[in-house]
Amino acid sequence: MVGIQVRDLWKQYRRPHQRVSTLKEAIVAFLRGETGYEEFWALRSVSFAVEPGEAVGVVGPNGSGKSTLLAIMARVLTPTRGAVSVSGRVCPMLELGTGFHPDLSGRDNVYLNASLLGLNRRETAGRYDAIVEFAELESFMEAPVKTYSSGMVVRLGFSVAVHLDPEVLLIDEVLGVGDEHFHHKSFDRLVQFKQEGRTIFVVSHDLGSVERLCARAIWLDQGHMVMDSDSPQVIRKYRAAVEEWEQRDGEARAGP
Amino acid sequence: MKELVELWRYREVLWNLVRRNLKVRYKNSILGFFWSLLNPLMQIGVWYLVFKVIWNNTERNYMALLITGFLPWLFFSQTVLDSTSSVTQEMALVKKAYFPRCALPLAALLSNFIHLALAFVVLLVLFAIWRVDVNVHYLLVIPATLLLAVFAYGLSAMLAAWSVFYSDVKFIVGNTMGLWFFLTPVLYPLHLVLGKARLAGENWLAVLLNDWLPTIKQLYLLDPVTIGMLGYRSGLLEGGQNPITGAQLQAQYPLGDYIVGAVAIALAVAILGHLIFHRLSPLFAERG
Repeated sequence: MVGIQVRDLWKQYRRPHQRVSTLKEAIVAFLRGETGYEEFWALRSVSFAVEPGEAVGVVGPNGSGKSTLLAIMARVLTPTRGAVSVSGRVCPMLELGTGFHPDLSGRDNVYLNASLLGLNRRETAGRYDAIVEFAELESFMEAPVKTYSSGMVVRLGFSVAVHLDPEVLLIDEVLGVGDEHFHHKSFDRLVQFKQEGRTIFVVSHDLGSVERLCARAIWLDQGHMVMDSDSPQVIRKYRAAVEEWEQRDGEARAGP
Repeated sequence: MKELVELWRYREVLWNLVRRNLKVRYKNSILGFFWSLLNPLMQIGVWYLVFKVIWNNTERNYMALLITGFLPWLFFSQTVLDSTSSVTQEMALVKKAYFPRCALPLAALLSNFIHLALAFVVLLVLFAIWRVDVNVHYLLVIPATLLLAVFAYGLSAMLAAWSVFYSDVKFIVGNTMGLWFFLTPVLYPLHLVLGKARLAGENWLAVLLNDWLPTIKQLYLLDPVTIGMLGYRSGLLEGGQNPITGAQLQAQYPLGDYIVGAVAIALAVAILGHLIFHRLSPLFAERG
C-alpha cells in the first residue's frame, strides 16, 4: 500500500488576458476570434510516491506549483492530466480554520470546521475538550470568532486539524503558527505525528522547519520537479540556487 | 449514484451549513428567528391593506388567499435567490476544502424549508384561532412542497453554477423573480387569468398578447410554481377540490394533465440543473 501516489500530473490554468469590461469589447474580442485566455502550466509531469509514515516537504519559489499540487491532493482542484491517489484518512490543511464564520461562536465553528475535515458530530464532541485545551481558549469558546485575535483563530484552527487522528496530513504553509509558545507547541505536535507513523506532506517556505520535520524533500520550479531527494541535500542545493538568482538579480540591477 | 453516497458521507457538512445559514441570517437582531415569520406576515398585511381595504376587491377570503399563495412563493423564490449566490458567497470554503459542491445550493434549499415549516406551524395556530377546521386534505401541501423543492433545486443548481462565471446571473435572477411573482396566483385568484377572454386596451403589447393568450394561459398553468401553489390553496382552503372553478374551465383545462406536465418540467429542470452544476463544479475553485 502506498500512502500517496502522484502519476504524471499536469495542471493547466487559464489566466484571463485582460478583463473584458464592456459588451462592445466582448463583441470585438469575439469577432477577432480572441479567446481572452492565456494558458499556462502550473504543474508539468510531476510524479512521485510517498510511503506510509514518510514525511515529505515541498520547496520552491512563489509560483512553482506547490500550492496547486497540494490543492489537487486535497481534491479542491482537479488535474488536467494524470492522477493522484491518497489512501487512508486524509486531513487537508490548506488553511487554518476553513469555513470559520466571524459571527458564530468558537464552538459552532469547531463543529463546522471539523465536519469539513471529515468528522461527524459525535466524533467532534468526543474531541472537543482536547481541542479547546490544546488551543488554550477555554474561556472564549462561546464568544463569536470576530472577537478573537488573529493568533487565537489560528490556534483554534490548528488545534481542530491535529485532533482529527489523520493517517495522512497535508499542510500548506501552516508550520509553526501563533506566538513563540504556540509555535513550538504546534511544531512538537507535528513531530509527534511523524513519530506515530503518520504520513506528512508539507508545502512551505520555511526551509528550516522542512529540514527538521521531513527526511525527504521535493523541489519544484515552474511546475517541474527539479529534485527529489534527502531534505538536507535538496535544501542545500535549493539555497544555493536562490543565492545565485539573487546575485544575478543584483548584478542586473547594478549593470549599465 | 456515486454522488449521493458522497453527499451522505459529507452530510455533516450539509447539516452544519444549514445550521450556520439559520444562525447567521438573524445575527444581532433582538427578535431573531421571529423575523422569518414576522416578515411574511407584515408583507401580507400590506397587501391586505392595499388590495382589500383600499381597493376593496371581491374575494371573500382574501387573507387566506394571500397566506396560502405567499408561503409557497416565499419558499420557492427565497431558495432560488439564496442558492444563486450560495457558491460565490462560499468561495473561501470552496477554494480551501473538499466537499460535494451541491451541498451549497442544497443547504439554501433546506434552510428555506425549515423557515417554511416554522411558518406553517404559525399558520396552523392562526387557523385554530379562526376556528378553521383542519382536515386530511391539508396533506396536499406535502406533494406540493416536494414539487416546488424539486423545481427550485434544479433552477438553484444551474444558477449557482453559472453565477460563478457571470455575475450578471444574480441581477437577472433578481429581476426575473419580480416578474415571476405576478405570473403566479399569489395576489389574485386563478380564474382571473384562466377566465380572461381578452385583454382590454389597444396598445401594441395588449394586441400582441391577445394573439397568444390561449398559449400563454396553458404555459401559465404548466408552471410548477403555480401548480404547487394551487396544491396549497386546494388543500388548505378548498378541501382538496379542483382549484379551477366552473365546469367549462375545468373541461378546457384538465387539471390532471397540467399536474403531470408541471411535474415533468420540474423533474427535467432538476436533472438538467444538476448535470450543469456537476459539470461546472470542478472549475469553481480555480475560476471563482
